[in-house]
Amino acid sequence: MKKKSKGLVMLLTVMLLMSMIAACSGNGGGNTAASSSPADSAAATASPDNAQAGEKTGIDTSKKVELQFYMLGDAPKDLATIQDKINEMALQDLNATVKFNYTSWTDWEQKYKLLLGSGQQVDLIFTAEWTQYQSYAKKGAFQPLDKLLPVAAPKLNEFVPQDMWEAVKIDNQIFTVPATYKEYVTNGFVWREDLRKKYNLPEPKDLKTYEEYLAGIKANEPSMRPIALGADVRGSLVNQIRDIEHKAIGALPYGLGVNYFEPGNIYTYWGSDEQKADLELIKRWQQNGYIPKNVLNINDVIQEQLTSGKAATIFGDNPTRFNDSVIKVQAAHPDWELKYYPFPLTTGIATPVHAIHNGFAIPTSSKNAERALAFYEKMVTDQRYNLLTQYGVEGKNYEVKDGYYQMIGDASSNGFAREGMNGWAWRNPEFMLFDKNYDGVKTIFDELDKIQVPDKFNGFAEDYSTYQAERAALEQVEKQYLFPLQAGLVDNIEEGLKTFMDKAKQAGLEKIQAEYMKQWQAYVTEKNIK
Amino acid sequence: MNTRRGLFHELITNRILFLMLLPTILFFIINSYLPMVGIYYAFTRFDYNTSLFNSEFVGLENFKFLWQSGILTKLTLNTIGYNVAFIGLGNVLAIALAILLSELKSKWFKKLTQSIMFLPYFVSFVILSVIVYNLFNYESGFLNTLLKQLSIEPVDVYNTPWVWVPLIILFYLWKNLGYSMVIYLAAITGISDEYYEAAKIDGANIFQRIWYITVPMLKTTFVVLLLFALGSIMKGQFDLFYQLIGNNGVLYDTTDILDTYVYRSLKVTFDIGMSTAAGLYQSLFGFILIMTVNYIIRKINDEYALF
Repeated sequence: MKKKSKGLVMLLTVMLLMSMIAACSGNGGGNTAASSSPADSAAATASPDNAQAGEKTGIDTSKKVELQFYMLGDAPKDLATIQDKINEMALQDLNATVKFNYTSWTDWEQKYKLLLGSGQQVDLIFTAEWTQYQSYAKKGAFQPLDKLLPVAAPKLNEFVPQDMWEAVKIDNQIFTVPATYKEYVTNGFVWREDLRKKYNLPEPKDLKTYEEYLAGIKANEPSMRPIALGADVRGSLVNQIRDIEHKAIGALPYGLGVNYFEPGNIYTYWGSDEQKADLELIKRWQQNGYIPKNVLNINDVIQEQLTSGKAATIFGDNPTRFNDSVIKVQAAHPDWELKYYPFPLTTGIATPVHAIHNGFAIPTSSKNAERALAFYEKMVTDQRYNLLTQYGVEGKNYEVKDGYYQMIGDASSNGFAREGMNGWAWRNPEFMLFDKNYDGVKTIFDELDKIQVPDKFNGFAEDYSTYQAERAALEQVEKQYLFPLQAGLVDNIEEGLKTFMDKAKQAGLEKIQAEYMKQWQAYVTEKNIK
Repeated sequence: MNTRRGLFHELITNRILFLMLLPTILFFIINSYLPMVGIYYAFTRFDYNTSLFNSEFVGLENFKFLWQSGILTKLTLNTIGYNVAFIGLGNVLAIALAILLSELKSKWFKKLTQSIMFLPYFVSFVILSVIVYNLFNYESGFLNTLLKQLSIEPVDVYNTPWVWVPLIILFYLWKNLGYSMVIYLAAITGISDEYYEAAKIDGANIFQRIWYITVPMLKTTFVVLLLFALGSIMKGQFDLFYQLIGNNGVLYDTTDILDTYVYRSLKVTFDIGMSTAAGLYQSLFGFILIMTVNYIIRKINDEYALF
């Protein structure tokens, strides 16, 4: 009896130890194969002019490969059918098949990082400034495409204008294939026009009129949230204020600021009078009830708060997303009316998206770089591929009426909505089909075209390798001490800001700022930005 | 010399048994021991282009972010504090309830209670967070609507840090109590009836029977469960804290644990080296803790110790 229990205990001990060890190595394990050598692709590029193997392209297609294609977001229901159709063609054209993978929007940031870091086979992956393209490229997560492009994708090489190739270069090398469709993702006020008319409120054009509108909503519709906000107050409140009020060149991190019209002058925003004024404003909004008290615990999607009638305005949304909201509201509540006012009309900063806003790159882990690039060329420049992956099957998913795209059925019955594969990056303006509803966006774009100015921010590639630890620590301090301030929850702003600044300095703020400023100045001088 | 021959002898005589053990051993070697090489990531700068052992060695650089903001002690204390509360209260309540239930005569009532207590275990923390938000949010939460009806000042739960200490413990117990209770219930069922009958004949009343028979017989189960729980004391209950508190920095002073801190830090600066470093710190701490507690237990009563 006694012996038996001892044996059992021993077994338990071993199991326990194992599980501990397994748990601790879980973070680091599985990455041992992290960097399969890029030698294969290098060897392949070494003999580029040897073009007899493939008929259409200058690459060797004798061996059949399966490409792993990764896009963010959720896959459309009909993806399997589309994939089969694409594979039929790709097998013939390139002796390759492709598997379209989606990350879903939940925790996509982590998944994206793991895709690039774990060494698993990924041949094509979406890139954007909001997925940290610049940093990843700088750290060597993607393969340089300069030599590969003329060989594997000559048509694509021609198709993308030279200045866009220039614009995506990081350290003088191309790491991503930019999308050529010109659009604006600048901010703008979105509000319920029907309520504005009903209560005779001013149209939001700047912070002053916006505040008046909010006051009117609060007074007349007390149960409504005046602004649709989420837990990320930095992204849904503060950045907007800095955009419209301080003409920010972009959303700079680490409490730094640059005015669009003086790019050479980078200043510290945290602790400045400018920030204090902003925080006062937010506190006033909080006290007046425009911002929910528990805003830091709200997890609802901002746009949904508007379209469901929970909130009356969005403080800063882009024209395309605004249009999506309009379509949703029209379907569910035809008596409501939404209206839009672009910030650029007030600030004068109408920047079309930077070339890196939508792109596809080939990760270092890919062994089929040539084929991947050739396939991507097909996606962009071959109308058959492009229409299939953007709009689905004609006659089944959509039809073309008077030159307009029209969905067959509705969003719930149709398994492939317009751009259902989130194909922002491989849009080809020559083939693009627009919904009638999209005319609203085009009107806004036309308006912005008239005052268009170049994007000066997104070409900048931050290299944070020297202050990585400080950066992680700072993020922490920001969440704990600055977010409550930015949600207007701290009564004494002076004091709250001082605590935050002390903690931030302890976390290494000064080192980060100094290094970032240095890099920024170098960027401004090098690219001659004025 | 003697032991070596003994081991060899043992291998030969029990070779079938050892053969049967082999798959398990291999399983652990492959899944648990080989990946331990990855610990080295904690001391290198991760590079997309070279292999692990060619990466640059950076010493303790990757651990720096843990103490950079100077709150490592607070985090460690929070983590341990909550876990002590979870383990202590959880086990004591589970034992008490298990004894109560086991003494119940009505089988029907017993099963029903057991099921009701077990059900919260299946509620995910995501759903719990929605329930909690709808209970406590300032503008339209259940609590404040009720208070307003009664003309009492509403309370702002989400901006009051201290409230969350009991709340989090409460929700943890609500969710996990049924589960650990079932384990103890099983242990009680395993106690031979003979003891109770003998005690009854000797004239022991129900309290004496519980105190002198049931409780001592549960000790082994308790110690094993305790040691198991201690091993993961640094891991906290990530889901619970992350879902209930999320981004609300106001509450971090009393509710931030290592797991949530590491998650938030590395969400922005994702680095394999840094995450391995954090994992290593947690595991090492857990290892030291379990060795100490096991040592103490062995000192007190050799038989209860794990090893």
